[in-house]
Amino acid sequence: MSDSSPLLEVTDLCTTFTTPTGPVAAVSGVSFTLNHDETLGIVGESGSGKTVLSRTVMGLQPRRNVVVTGSSRLNGVELVGASEAEKRRVWGLEVAMIFQDPMTSLNPVMRIGKQIDEILRVRRGLSRSAARDRAIELLELVGIPSPTQRYREYPGALSGGMRQRVVIAAALAGSPQLLMADEPTTGLDVTIQAQILNLLDDLRARLRMSVVLVTHDLGVVATRTSRLVVMYAGRVVEVGSTRDLFARHRMPYTRALLEGSPRLSNPAHTRLVTIPGRPPNLAQLPAGCSFAPRCAYATAQCHVERPELQPADGLGHYFACWNPLPTPTGVS
Amino acid sequence: MSDSRQPLLKVRDLTVTFGPRRRRLSAVAGVSFEIYEGETLGLVGESGCGKSTTGRALMRIVEPSGGSVELDGVEVTSLKGAALRRLRTRMQMIFQDPISSLNPRRRVRDIVAEPLDCWQSAKGEDRRRVVDELLHQVGIDPDLYGERFARQFSGGQCQRISIARSLAMKPKLLICDEMVSALDVSVQAQILNLLEDLKAQYGLTLLFIAHDLAVVKNVSDRVAVMYLGKICEIGPSDTLYESPEHPYTSFLLGAALEADPDSPAHREVLSGEPPSPLNPPSGCRFRTRCPLAQDRCTSEEPALREVGDGHRVACHFPLSLERR
Amino acid sequence: MSSAFAVSELLESPAATPERKRRLGLLFWICVGWLSLNVLAAIFANVLPLDNPLQQNYSAINVGPSLHHLFGTDDLGRDIFSRVVFGSRVSIEVGLGAMAIGFGVGAPLGMLAAYRRGTLDTVLSLFMYVFLAFPAIIATIAVLSFWTPRSLFKIVIVVGVASVPLVFRVIRASTMNVATREFVVAAKVQGATDRRILVKELLPNVAPIGVSFLLIGVATVITLEGSLAFLGLSVSPPTPSWGNMINESRTILQTNPWLAIFPSAAMCLFLLCLNFIGDRLRSHFDVSDVKL
Repeated sequence: MSDSSPLLEVTDLCTTFTTPTGPVAAVSGVSFTLNHDETLGIVGESGSGKTVLSRTVMGLQPRRNVVVTGSSRLNGVELVGASEAEKRRVWGLEVAMIFQDPMTSLNPVMRIGKQIDEILRVRRGLSRSAARDRAIELLELVGIPSPTQRYREYPGALSGGMRQRVVIAAALAGSPQLLMADEPTTGLDVTIQAQILNLLDDLRARLRMSVVLVTHDLGVVATRTSRLVVMYAGRVVEVGSTRDLFARHRMPYTRALLEGSPRLSNPAHTRLVTIPGRPPNLAQLPAGCSFAPRCAYATAQCHVERPELQPADGLGHYFACWNPLPTPTGVS
Repeated sequence: MSDSRQPLLKVRDLTVTFGPRRRRLSAVAGVSFEIYEGETLGLVGESGCGKSTTGRALMRIVEPSGGSVELDGVEVTSLKGAALRRLRTRMQMIFQDPISSLNPRRRVRDIVAEPLDCWQSAKGEDRRRVVDELLHQVGIDPDLYGERFARQFSGGQCQRISIARSLAMKPKLLICDEMVSALDVSVQAQILNLLEDLKAQYGLTLLFIAHDLAVVKNVSDRVAVMYLGKICEIGPSDTLYESPEHPYTSFLLGAALEADPDSPAHREVLSGEPPSPLNPPSGCRFRTRCPLAQDRCTSEEPALREVGDGHRVACHFPLSLERR
Repeated sequence: MSSAFAVSELLESPAATPERKRRLGLLFWICVGWLSLNVLAAIFANVLPLDNPLQQNYSAINVGPSLHHLFGTDDLGRDIFSRVVFGSRVSIEVGLGAMAIGFGVGAPLGMLAAYRRGTLDTVLSLFMYVFLAFPAIIATIAVLSFWTPRSLFKIVIVVGVASVPLVFRVIRASTMNVATREFVVAAKVQGATDRRILVKELLPNVAPIGVSFLLIGVATVITLEGSLAFLGLSVSPPTPSWGNMINESRTILQTNPWLAIFPSAAMCLFLLCLNFIGDRLRSHFDVSDVKL
């Protein structure tokens, strides 16, 4: 395949829900690209629109009460506004998704092997026995011990970590080029979380996939993504390479996210940097920068005029802020 | 340094079992520790390790099936009726789910005043003054929000209200059970700072239960690590985090995700999952996942022993031996 | 203030979701109005300018509705309008009285069983299930047939007792829902007594469901009274009740349909209003609904 064109190209994507109290813009004007063989992180707090974004990108949204504009092209195929038949051709085969709660994406009354079989037989046209062999292979690939026995078990018999592995195996059944992982490890224990993230990393390299990792936890993305998108109130507020964003972030919100979470390397009783308030209500967004009411650097301009993304020093590093933090000197 | 002080809370061989005889599950299997006056003890572990059950057993929300708990020299496990209720004024608890721990049909002022009403310690003008001051201290404007219903608040605000309620009777010991794990990062930092402020102001002693190692380190003077119903290591937080002695602690720290792109990406990760507490392994409970396990670990259960100043570990082969 | 948080931080962002005023709707208030009218008429029936419902008038038998007899008269020349109004007394009394017994016994037991659990819950639930296993209507008919002379009081008692297990079940289930929530544990660790938890924490959360079930229960009991009357087991004639009147109309339905239509319509509207209000209240007080 040619690596010149991006795998996923999202341009000016907006998702607006119509509610009885008025329109709520969950995602507005989001653009980013994802290259082949790359892991992109989408980071934000609850209500930042990261989950809605990941679903809209795939063309996955409720049929009613939602307006989607903009474009999301996977391998040049437009997914926004595509018909169900067109989307079905793409889903599972070119892009697959794993969700936070593995229990909701597995059918509790169906043996786990069966659930992977189905995909292989329906989507890949494999025969019954070939599908079975492939399913066991996939279970082994995702690190499930004694896959032949596990193949016959029900999801309820598995632990949370094992279930997430099964979900990943099912996602891989169609050999997708893109894996969307929405909070794949939230709710799992730290040691299990590390296992799953390592597995995803490993699979990505082995199967030459691209991964979009949607999370609220900067620890999850710090070492496992090459680029990051930081979202706040439905908009991208900063985007760039992971290293740039950690070392040379310009947007005050990115800093708050980074320094607000306690670090293992800090001594005990370190005072945390806090920003006041809480994530805004999407139905009542302020006129200017959405972060302005909580921002220590906000000026009058911030409250009335919304900043657009502007380039920073680093390659592909953009931020949306009127009063950006200075670039630290001496950082290589 | 801690030995010179009197422990406020002394826990000896606390056990909690659930279920009928056939399928008896020991969630807490003989846990001993002290909490000294004015300190914060962190209790970390993965889900199902019994850390929350320990906290609940101390509060007598679940009944301990053995062991002793002494608060200020008073045996807690044998208290009954009115004496047990009295205990609640000295020991308080904050729960994980901020929304569900407040009655959605009551007003904020009434929620915070609940302990005062239970003990009839303040009435009328006095009650209102005390409640408003508490709300002020946790950053909720009583004039604006005092008459609102609990269901109208966000998670962070609910947790503030919970804190105000728990402080109403000026308790000595506050047990925080995963109190920030349901909150957003930016809100979590606010609550953690607030807790530190109030701890100083009220002279509180804290038992801080959480699964997040970084959060625990941030607030704790000492940390205890639990695995499958037992404490496997306990010590001053800086020592424990810098040079863990128990292999499990070391793996736990290795698995914790640092928000730092320069931290090593693929550290050695603990394989497998915790065994079922219904049928714990013989000897050391961690041996089934421990790369250093030997025959002795199967036959003999390691007891907590001192390896440094206030640093105790339950392992036959602590890591400092390896390093030497 | 030593805390690092200024109160202003809460003022800046829309901190608490404002109390959204949710409307109950016009239809709801029409129903409430109709019910109140019925109840008021029943209470003040004696002082209202109504004909004596027992006064027979042989010069006006089976006449249709007119200005003089609003709903017409029955086969004994009694004023149907007046009998419908007086008849509502029986229905309302049976409905409220029986539910008072049902809730008075069933609701506290249900709450206690759900809160305490354990042996108390097991024993009470078992007892109630055994009780429920009897076909209530047949049991009621049997008891009323033997317990003579029948009076309104006895009917209320029998129907009320029969409703206890139903009320118990509904209240127990909804209390159980609430009792497992963290705030109940929180109240306990504040040092609240069991009674305080039941009254202050559980009751406000169970009450809305209780009230809506109460209204629907009243409606069910009124229907039951109608059925009993139809079988001749309600209050003895000539005392009017909606059920009695419908029963009496059976034989002369051809000559005087008014005698069947008006009490049926009165009962039907009354039940419809009760059910609608009950249903509306239940969804109105649903807290999970309020949170968007």
